[in-house]
Amino acid sequence: MNKLTKASLFLLGFIVLGLILNYFLNSYIHAILISFMINAVMALSLNFITGLADQFSLGHAGLMAVGAYTSAIISKELLSDQWYFIPLTVVAAGFASAVLGFLVSLPSFKLKGDYLAIVTLGMAEIVRVLILNWNHVGGPRGYNAIVKFPGFLWSYSFGLLVLTITFVTFFRLKKSWFGRNLWALNEDDIAAEVMGLDLVKAKRSAFIISSFFAGVGGGVYAHHLGYISPGSFSFLISVQILIMAVLGGLGSMSGSILAAFILTILPELLRSLPTGTVDIRMIVYPVILICMMIVRPQGLLGRLELIEYFRMKKWIKS
Amino acid sequence: MENIISVKDLSIQFGGLKAVDQVSFAIQKNEIFGLIGPNGAGKTTVFNILSGFYQADSGEIIFADKNINDLKPHAVNELGIARTFQNIRLFKGLSVIENVIVALQQREKHTWFDSLLETEKFYRTEKLLYEHSIELLKIFELDRFKDHFANSLPYGAQRKLEIVRALATKPSLLMLDEPAAGMNHSEKAELNDLIRFVKDKFHLTILIIEHDMKVVMNICNRIAVLHRGKKIAEGIPAHIKSSPEVIEAYLGKRQT
Repeated sequence: MNKLTKASLFLLGFIVLGLILNYFLNSYIHAILISFMINAVMALSLNFITGLADQFSLGHAGLMAVGAYTSAIISKELLSDQWYFIPLTVVAAGFASAVLGFLVSLPSFKLKGDYLAIVTLGMAEIVRVLILNWNHVGGPRGYNAIVKFPGFLWSYSFGLLVLTITFVTFFRLKKSWFGRNLWALNEDDIAAEVMGLDLVKAKRSAFIISSFFAGVGGGVYAHHLGYISPGSFSFLISVQILIMAVLGGLGSMSGSILAAFILTILPELLRSLPTGTVDIRMIVYPVILICMMIVRPQGLLGRLELIEYFRMKKWIKS
Repeated sequence: MENIISVKDLSIQFGGLKAVDQVSFAIQKNEIFGLIGPNGAGKTTVFNILSGFYQADSGEIIFADKNINDLKPHAVNELGIARTFQNIRLFKGLSVIENVIVALQQREKHTWFDSLLETEKFYRTEKLLYEHSIELLKIFELDRFKDHFANSLPYGAQRKLEIVRALATKPSLLMLDEPAAGMNHSEKAELNDLIRFVKDKFHLTILIIEHDMKVVMNICNRIAVLHRGKKIAEGIPAHIKSSPEVIEAYLGKRQT
């Protein structure tokens, strides 16, 4: 099978899946599916810098917020709420976040680990507080009535397109010279520098690319819900994205998607648990996470991609 | 003979400690130059200054007619200085061949466009890098390990791999920081041959730090001796062996 037939088969599969989902499932499941796609984009974006480049970021909610607000404002103020401009505004959202990512990387490119996490965390808080005090976009009341896609099929196709582009981009970068550079500096930055690798440039490029896709994720989010507020981009969101990236396996792109799927579905499945004075859901969910991290501390797939993982299983058996 | 690198009055101070104090030496093309001295003499500090990790407080380093005092490590490497480390620093989680490819690819021109769209050029470059690194590994008989993780190799092979990786950056000056550390006698003998072989094969100049006197006296054309940050002697091995200052630095003064 060559590439083209493979790609068209995938496309056909997704179209059929979309039609089935559209006609046989209710809007509750539709909404969950779209949030899975957004979560997956965010987890991929974080995994690329934290897993590959060893840059621990806790500010992805901030980048997401910038993307979401940029996309919403452009739609409303400049493009008079036309839904067919959404792809355009989402790309603009990506660029806005990339610019912010670049600005953050300027003072912090020498930092690593916890220190970078503090800087990015601070950045996210600054963004949140700025929006909170910006009356024009509603401040704490939130930004309302953002244009949405006219139907599930549209938002499904667009979400899937964004997710596919994000995944393919990160996957190919991981497999290319750039990914190898990032692995090398992750393993031993001193040795990598002696090999002639410009650490600052490599780290900065990775951060900017990651920020771009975080902004895109935010843009899709804004047009999915139609309402955003500073509260939707709190510290907890950053942590949630981080949990997805870690659970999937730091450095595994398909792992991030898998983890995003599990962690989007799981809280919804747990809704069927009885709620009394104590919300058991909020106990069971973390317990499951803790158990998973004890059993597989390297995440579901470790560093491997899904295909490589199955290949290895086969290889071990034979 | 022309000098490939000349170091003049190099000094660096950490707090109150003068780690390197007014050290000067020059290395000629195609020679093996040894840097020896007791523990804490400042040998590795000199290496770190030369490779760009430390900034010298004073003095100058001229490499290939360029002043490299203020260059960052990666820029120093681009000019043609490669080094290895005293405590092996391989990319442990990468395979042996990937270790070499990472070093090789810094010299290749890549574009984002090619790697994102996986164009033909992308595959061509990848294939070229792969073949080239296999070639290098074959010279050192490491190609049978190519898919192993770097940290699963035996100790001697890891040392070798570090040299291969340094060579992959196509240097003209190779700096080896205690390559024989932790090796047994036969491995040391093999290393001697290897260093000579590498020097001739790749037309290199080699600067070597070593504790093992047998290795140093055997392969070095000239030697400089550091003691407490100062250079106390320089010359051919026979001369160094009989120098009273060197003997005093290593063994102490003779009681009479």
